[in-house]
Amino acid sequence: MISRPSDRRSFLRSFVAGSSMMPALLRNMDAVSNSIDPLSVKNPHFPAKAKNVIFLFMTGGVSHIDTFDPKPKLKSDVGKEIKLDHPEIENRPGYEKIYLKAPQWEFSPHGQCGTEVSTLFPYVAQCVDDIALIRSMHTDHSNHYNATLGMHTGSFAFARPSLGSWVSYGLGTENQNLPSFITIAPKQTYAGTQVYASDFLPGAHQGTFLRPSKDPFKNINSRVPVSRQEIELAALQRLNERHLIARSGDAEAEARIKSFETAFGMQMEVPELFDFSKETDATHDLYGLDRGSTEGFGWQCLAARRLVERGVRFVELIDTGSSGNWDSHGNMMDHERLAKNVDQPIAGLLKDLKSRGMLEDTLVVWTTEFGRTPFNNKADAPGREHHNWAFSSWMAGAGIKPGTVHGSTDEYGVRPDKDPVHVHDFHATILHLLGLDHAKLTYRHDGRDYRLTDVYGNVVTDIIA
Amino acid sequence: MPLIVNILGLLSIACTLFLFGPSQLFAEKKLWSLKPINKITVPANTKNDWSHNAIDDFILEKLSTESLAPSPRADRRSLIRRASYDLTGLPPSPETVRAFINDPSNDGVAFSKVIENFLGSSAYGERWGRHWLDVVRYADTAGENSDHPIEDAWRYRNWVIDAFNSDKPYDQFVREQLAGDILAKQKKGKEFADNIIATGYLAIARRFGHDIDKSMYLTYEDALDNLGKTFLGLSIACARCHDHKHDPITMQDYYALYGVLASSRLPFPGCEPKQQPRDLVPLVSAEVIQQNEEWENELKKLETDLITKPKEQLKEIAKKNHRVLSRGHLSVGKSIDLTNEPIRVDISKGEAIQISIAPNANHGADTTLVELNIKHESDSGTMQWSTDDLIDKLTNANPLKSKDAVWCFLDIGPEGPRFLKEKTEAIDGQPSLKKWSPGNLPSVAVNMGKDPVKVWTEIPPRSFFVHPDKESPVAVTWISPISGKISIGLKVRDGHAFGDGVIWQLEHFASKEMHSAYEKLAIDKLGLEKIEEHKNKRPLGKKDYAYAIAEGIPKDHPIHNRGDNEDPGPIVKRRFLSALGGSVLGNHNASGRLELADLIVDAGNPLTARVMVNRIWAWHFGQGIVGTPNDFGSHGSLPTHPELLDHLALEFIKSGWSIKQMHRIIMNSATYQQSARSGSGPKKYTGFERRRLSAEEIRDTILYLSGLLDMSPGKEHPFPPRNKWNFTQHNPFASEYASSKRSIYLMRKRNQISSFFSLFDGPDPNASTAKRSRTTVPSQALYFMNDPFFHDCAEQFASNIRAIGPDQRLEHACQQLFSRPASQTDHEDFEAFARAMAPTVSNDPEEQDTEIWKSYARILMSSNELLYLD
Repeated sequence: MISRPSDRRSFLRSFVAGSSMMPALLRNMDAVSNSIDPLSVKNPHFPAKAKNVIFLFMTGGVSHIDTFDPKPKLKSDVGKEIKLDHPEIENRPGYEKIYLKAPQWEFSPHGQCGTEVSTLFPYVAQCVDDIALIRSMHTDHSNHYNATLGMHTGSFAFARPSLGSWVSYGLGTENQNLPSFITIAPKQTYAGTQVYASDFLPGAHQGTFLRPSKDPFKNINSRVPVSRQEIELAALQRLNERHLIARSGDAEAEARIKSFETAFGMQMEVPELFDFSKETDATHDLYGLDRGSTEGFGWQCLAARRLVERGVRFVELIDTGSSGNWDSHGNMMDHERLAKNVDQPIAGLLKDLKSRGMLEDTLVVWTTEFGRTPFNNKADAPGREHHNWAFSSWMAGAGIKPGTVHGSTDEYGVRPDKDPVHVHDFHATILHLLGLDHAKLTYRHDGRDYRLTDVYGNVVTDIIA
Repeated sequence: MPLIVNILGLLSIACTLFLFGPSQLFAEKKLWSLKPINKITVPANTKNDWSHNAIDDFILEKLSTESLAPSPRADRRSLIRRASYDLTGLPPSPETVRAFINDPSNDGVAFSKVIENFLGSSAYGERWGRHWLDVVRYADTAGENSDHPIEDAWRYRNWVIDAFNSDKPYDQFVREQLAGDILAKQKKGKEFADNIIATGYLAIARRFGHDIDKSMYLTYEDALDNLGKTFLGLSIACARCHDHKHDPITMQDYYALYGVLASSRLPFPGCEPKQQPRDLVPLVSAEVIQQNEEWENELKKLETDLITKPKEQLKEIAKKNHRVLSRGHLSVGKSIDLTNEPIRVDISKGEAIQISIAPNANHGADTTLVELNIKHESDSGTMQWSTDDLIDKLTNANPLKSKDAVWCFLDIGPEGPRFLKEKTEAIDGQPSLKKWSPGNLPSVAVNMGKDPVKVWTEIPPRSFFVHPDKESPVAVTWISPISGKISIGLKVRDGHAFGDGVIWQLEHFASKEMHSAYEKLAIDKLGLEKIEEHKNKRPLGKKDYAYAIAEGIPKDHPIHNRGDNEDPGPIVKRRFLSALGGSVLGNHNASGRLELADLIVDAGNPLTARVMVNRIWAWHFGQGIVGTPNDFGSHGSLPTHPELLDHLALEFIKSGWSIKQMHRIIMNSATYQQSARSGSGPKKYTGFERRRLSAEEIRDTILYLSGLLDMSPGKEHPFPPRNKWNFTQHNPFASEYASSKRSIYLMRKRNQISSFFSLFDGPDPNASTAKRSRTTVPSQALYFMNDPFFHDCAEQFASNIRAIGPDQRLEHACQQLFSRPASQTDHEDFEAFARAMAPTVSNDPEEQDTEIWKSYARILMSSNELLYLD
């Protein structure tokens, strides 16, 4: 049951009209101007398949050479000393010499397309025929904070609107009972609230941050019995209507009356949204989620499907937060624990979306802020360092060319050697898949037009169907 | 480096390389805001029954040309609410409202009294200080990757509030923020400290990256960007990579000013690889610091001379000449008696005999009865001294003279040797029990009475006793007034029926110097007084620091080619913007900040006064005369009333840059006193735009209405102590601190913005906010429906209301919230609500009443009438 604004409106109207306390004061609520509602649905610049985005962000830096970018040469040349002018070894004591370090997991081809994936992602490997993999990603900074900010805002130092906010600004959102942009993570990641901030874009485009729990939404549960709250809201509406009439229809005051209606709708809709009890056992199994549990990435993935199903424009899932994440300096074996936590849920999400026909208009993006070094200061060093020169990301679903691999890195996975894709290109491609021209999606602030991709960005047409 | 390439790009959209120099362009078409402010003739309007002052004449003239008329005058109730929030950020008290409504003076006169009243309130600075903090993007954290807390940022915040409250002339306000440290050189005391604190403006610039020191060029950019916008309404930072595309600002201009900042020393807040702050500025002048040092040295000397040295001397002498006569261990309740076999000693005048008692183990039960008898027989007769002699006069003195001998009562523990110097005339309220001790233990005591006294143990009548402390043995010393043979009789008895006994020791210190050594030690008390007296002479309080700026290494800096700090171009001499004269700033001894500040507030600079009066106007009306208060460049809006803007700018300067005077001029105008219109109404309208309360106003109002608002000024935040800091990008500083003070005093972070403030369009402290955005979203409604803090405040308000007689409640609520009496309709609505509500509660009328008011308090406090201003 998805209650749409009109249902609610008629509900409230009938309640108010039927109440003996309310004289005939009702106005035509539908006349409330949509022009001042920043979240109303807007047309894209051109027709496109993708309507919604699920953005999966693996925070901390996933090793490309251990997951999606096979480097057999790295294995055969293990221990070989190499010389690089790399940001992570510059002036770093103990890193005067660096040696190639072998991948710790085996790769094999999967699906019809034969894309090679390592044993870290056995479930996602089953979905390669739905995936467009980019093995030539690169970014500007080797620091978590800056690279994370860059991946989310296109800016590597300054606070700027995030990708989800730009999408919300460009397209509005389908369900006025829910925010347009929701970020779900167990805890904040690098750069804090900036990764989902709307910055200079109107505040309505800001991401709503939720933590996995049975009750993730702030202030969503009525603190008084709903029957009583209805009376309260009707009385409030009565006061506000009187106020409005005396002010000959002030648009903002009117919008505020409407906002209580919407909030009431959210209150009705949101708890149901996070109540997974009606999902079947098969669905739970698909996501690797224990019934009733909110632990692990499975909960986040299932919540994402349910949000998109209800018309939320942009959902970001962060695994996990600014600590205890993919930042495996100490020991790469930690990737095993982390991959295990996300692999089945991500594949489950793709399969679930596909079987429901939702993959037709939902774009799923999987990325991290940077890769990890194919080398270390010892060939047998257990960990890998930050590597912004190359990493892997992928997209699946609406508008992409499935079963493709775009770009490649050199023999050791140090730098892209074919079709490099910068973060700005990645952003431009996501916007393009949503029908937005990244060069035209601008916002006037401080006397100039800003855009997500600054003056950069080339759409990666190769991965577009 | 890739990072730089990207940052370049960020700026390059607007700052694309200009093919022909800006100077050529602007020679032809000079920017309006750079033209001098000329004396403006106030238009003469025939319709003079509306105008209150010159503002109205300008407004009326413009309206007439558009064939429009001003709006009717607002009613007094709307006006006082508007003025109260406008100037104090809080609702007017019902008494203030009543006084205004009932004021028989004409409307204009009555309202000007209201304005004066609010301008005099300390809440004024808390409201207008907040406006300023928005513009200067104030925060309590640094904004680098681990978002280090800034312990002393609050001083600048409070300085801003105080500056508004004291109506510090704006030119001085600007000067102090840019160069207070230099101005302070001629100041003393609080004025000195305040001048230093003012430069917190520059100090709070955002820090960047992992290691702040490596990205200071970005911080200088942030500071320059803010400086340009805040004081001049110019986007200087656009010229970091290229000459400004639209405004007459060149790269040379940018790096000429960059040199001024880079010649200054910014404080270091701490960052992940370097946790501890440095380069903070002491709040006392160098001279006072020196006085402090001298004072501290004198204190140390006094303490050494009067306390340490005598102790050392006594110890030294005692150690050299020390002879144990007898010692032993005494078990619980046992005693020894050496009276029958007295110890014979050859003694000289000035030498000492000492009996000391130490605990065996320590269980506290160490009350020990001591009886020391010393006998000297000579040709001239027998002389005797005894502790019994002391029973009636113990607390007369310490050292205590008795029969020419001197008795000393000493703590000989780790703090000692020292005289027991506090006397107690009635231990445990028993007047016969008296003692010497430092505080509680160790002690030397007597029971003067003829009866035993039962306290912690039974103290026998007419007894002399001691009680050592855990670590501190106690000693009773006799200094000999004679030379010759003495015999010593000693009785020691453990005074407890339980415990673990004591150790006793009888010693002879065979040096004539002992007497004088004790005398010197006895100065202890006088000495302490002397030390106390010196402590009171402390030059200034404890050494506080400000997060403030200081002069650094003054020099000119090179251009960064295309903004790349690793690609230096030619060196640019420090100077002011060429469009504003380009005067040279600084030299090899000075950064140039003081000259910069002077040039910014110079009468020849048309921007500063225009920009500030436009801000004041915009904060009053919701809309500036120039719609872009931070941008007076060619990409900003043009003034809707250019002559009015210049007229106000001249008035501002004429008034001695008095911001309060500008409030008076603006708020006393008929323009301000028109009834409010919708912000989305016709553009030609100039007057007060109906507005929702700001985030701070909402929180302060609900706290105020509930009676929970703490109106006292805030100070520092309860940050964890510095030695515990270990903030990283993985675990950044992310605390939140609850407070019931006004919202301006809440701690604001840069990397994690408080959900309440972002919900209600609060400022983002990462960038200058000239004008807050206005959103109306359902999550705001959810706040009023379900937020626990709001519910708590409303409940408190309800319980305050219910303390009033039922007939007066709604009236009282309407006066408190809406500044008006309750109408018939209000009563009807409430009755209807109560009827609908009652059945959902219970049958208990008391419970029904409670719940109905809890609910209705929330409804009233969520209503547009409270949350919007007319």
